[in-house]
Amino acid sequence: MKKNIAFLLIVLSVLTTVFVGCQKPPTAERELAERAFRNAAVGKDCDRENYLAAEELLNRAREEYNNKNYKKARELFLAVKQKSDEIIEYYRTHPDECLPKEDVIEEEKDDFDEILDPAEDPNLEYPTVHFEFDDYTIRYEDQSKVELVARWMKNFPERVIRIEGHCDERGSRDYNMSLGENRARAVKNRLIQLGIDSDRIRIVSYGKERPLDPRSNEDAWFLNRRAEFKRVN
Amino acid sequence: MSIYPRTISFFIILLSCCALFAQVRVEVTDGAIAEYNIAVSPVFAENKEDKALANEISESIEMVLNLTGYFRVLDKRSFLEKPETPVQSIEFKNWLNVGANGLIKGRIKTTEGNTELDLHFFDVAEGKQLLHKKYKASPATAKKAAHRFINELVQMLTGEELLFMFARIAFVERFSDGRYNLVTMDFDGSNRNVIYSSKRVILLPAWSADGKRIFFTSYEKNNPNLYSIDVRTKRITLVSGYEGLNTSASAAPDNRTIALRLSKDGNAEIYLMDTVSKNITRMTKNMSIDTAPSFSPDGKEIAFVSNRSRNPHIYRLFVDNPSRVERLTTQGRYNQDPIYSPDGKYIAFTGRDEFFMYDIFLLDMSTRAISRVTQNQKKNETPSFSPDSRLLVFSSDRTGKTSLFLSNLQGDRQVLVYSGQGEAITPTWSPEVVK
Repeated sequence: MKKNIAFLLIVLSVLTTVFVGCQKPPTAERELAERAFRNAAVGKDCDRENYLAAEELLNRAREEYNNKNYKKARELFLAVKQKSDEIIEYYRTHPDECLPKEDVIEEEKDDFDEILDPAEDPNLEYPTVHFEFDDYTIRYEDQSKVELVARWMKNFPERVIRIEGHCDERGSRDYNMSLGENRARAVKNRLIQLGIDSDRIRIVSYGKERPLDPRSNEDAWFLNRRAEFKRVN
Repeated sequence: MSIYPRTISFFIILLSCCALFAQVRVEVTDGAIAEYNIAVSPVFAENKEDKALANEISESIEMVLNLTGYFRVLDKRSFLEKPETPVQSIEFKNWLNVGANGLIKGRIKTTEGNTELDLHFFDVAEGKQLLHKKYKASPATAKKAAHRFINELVQMLTGEELLFMFARIAFVERFSDGRYNLVTMDFDGSNRNVIYSSKRVILLPAWSADGKRIFFTSYEKNNPNLYSIDVRTKRITLVSGYEGLNTSASAAPDNRTIALRLSKDGNAEIYLMDTVSKNITRMTKNMSIDTAPSFSPDGKEIAFVSNRSRNPHIYRLFVDNPSRVERLTTQGRYNQDPIYSPDGKYIAFTGRDEFFMYDIFLLDMSTRAISRVTQNQKKNETPSFSPDSRLLVFSSDRTGKTSLFLSNLQGDRQVLVYSGQGEAITPTWSPEVVK
């Protein structure tokens, strides 16, 4: 069942890729894949075969990415993500093989837990949600980022966050203020749908005033069209 | 103001002293002007110390004459007569030979901080002096005196004043370290004054109707609130601090009402605010983005941007019946920053063309024809009209650095007026004329 869903996800995202076009660098997928692969390190020894396969896929994905072959890179990153999730699943379901035998120290175990689910990390490094040009719908690829923040907010119910909406340099300062605000609001609304109290979410737009990357090209524009999460308390 | 009708073409006839008619003819045809060649003999500095100032004044005279679009300013390298030649010894055939219809000559001399500026205008064909002024000024005000001379000269020749020279421009300068300055300057970039500076974002300045205050948005309290600053005292007052966006003020002619964009309803909408009582009235009701209001000079209409048809376009609404909305642009897919001309004839805006370039366009409100002011000069944005509706100021990155430019409405006369350390953005021309 789980495999079917994962397969469906890949098919869907490949389709999305085909329809959306392949010019955009898959930075979001890359982030997902790198993070999942790091987490999969817990199964490095007990599920060695899959781990090496994931590593190989990741290297190929990075290579395609560097060659600006974004369509292929996107597919490979998603494959890395799937493989890594399988390794973690194997790690969870096979504690006898995977957990170190005798000398398990309590703190190390805690470390493993943190690595396993970022939503339980009190110092979670928030993901960044990216958007298409002149658009404020959360992309399919970025839904999981918002879901992660929602799970984190459920784990830490005293936390209040601020979502900052940003735009790329194209278009007027005036219009981009609204575009940035609508991006932040779209993420806020999604968090509310996922069960987070709206009082815990503030939004602010910075329009195109605070770019991450000052260059004028597609890569920079993609990076700059974003919603960032910031901790308020 | 003018005693001469400004129709398709007109003549101005000036009486010469010898009971003959010296005819100075400046022809205006549909905004395109038949050429009147004018020679600006470099202002002669009697003291070495005045040389730089004399140069600055000569260049400024040339720039202004050029910007009017009424004149072709002749290249001074072709001149046959030296700047120091006294006016009594002018050989007019020297000026006829370089093709001049009119000639400006001047001398400047500073003694103990007092500057004397002597400026003359001659009709070359007749060999007659038509205007002579002697100004007592200081080195700091001498250029302003020259502007007054040019104003009188152009008024004499065309019946119209050049009020754009006497109104200041405000803009935001944004630095790479994230600092922002709110700056005012003369129309030509001189006498700059930083009136507010912050590490936080400063946005979208707009003058009050009397030109005494500037509305702007600041994040000083972590929310984009609207403030006004008294240009003279630099005192800052909170105007609007609703949750969300409080931006994009445009002043109504009553000097009390402003239109602004608020997003407190969960979506950007245009409101009117009485800045005294702080009462607000919602003008737009729409799920899409409505922003960038600009009052018409009679205060009856507001031009604005909306993406209600998916892409941002220019619309207008009628203040007494705001549900009546009219779409004004259909060309292009990305039109923004509308601004009414003070004479009500045009709306200037930033549009994105088919090559994805941002340029300044003009919408003629009587014919609905759209004309282009900038083209093939990289990115050009956020136009604002001079109070006499003659010129536009806008920002452009054509030099590689975002700077401020002036242009006539035809777009064939453009000049750089400010380029600084940071990006010079969102210029706005004061409605207040101080001659």
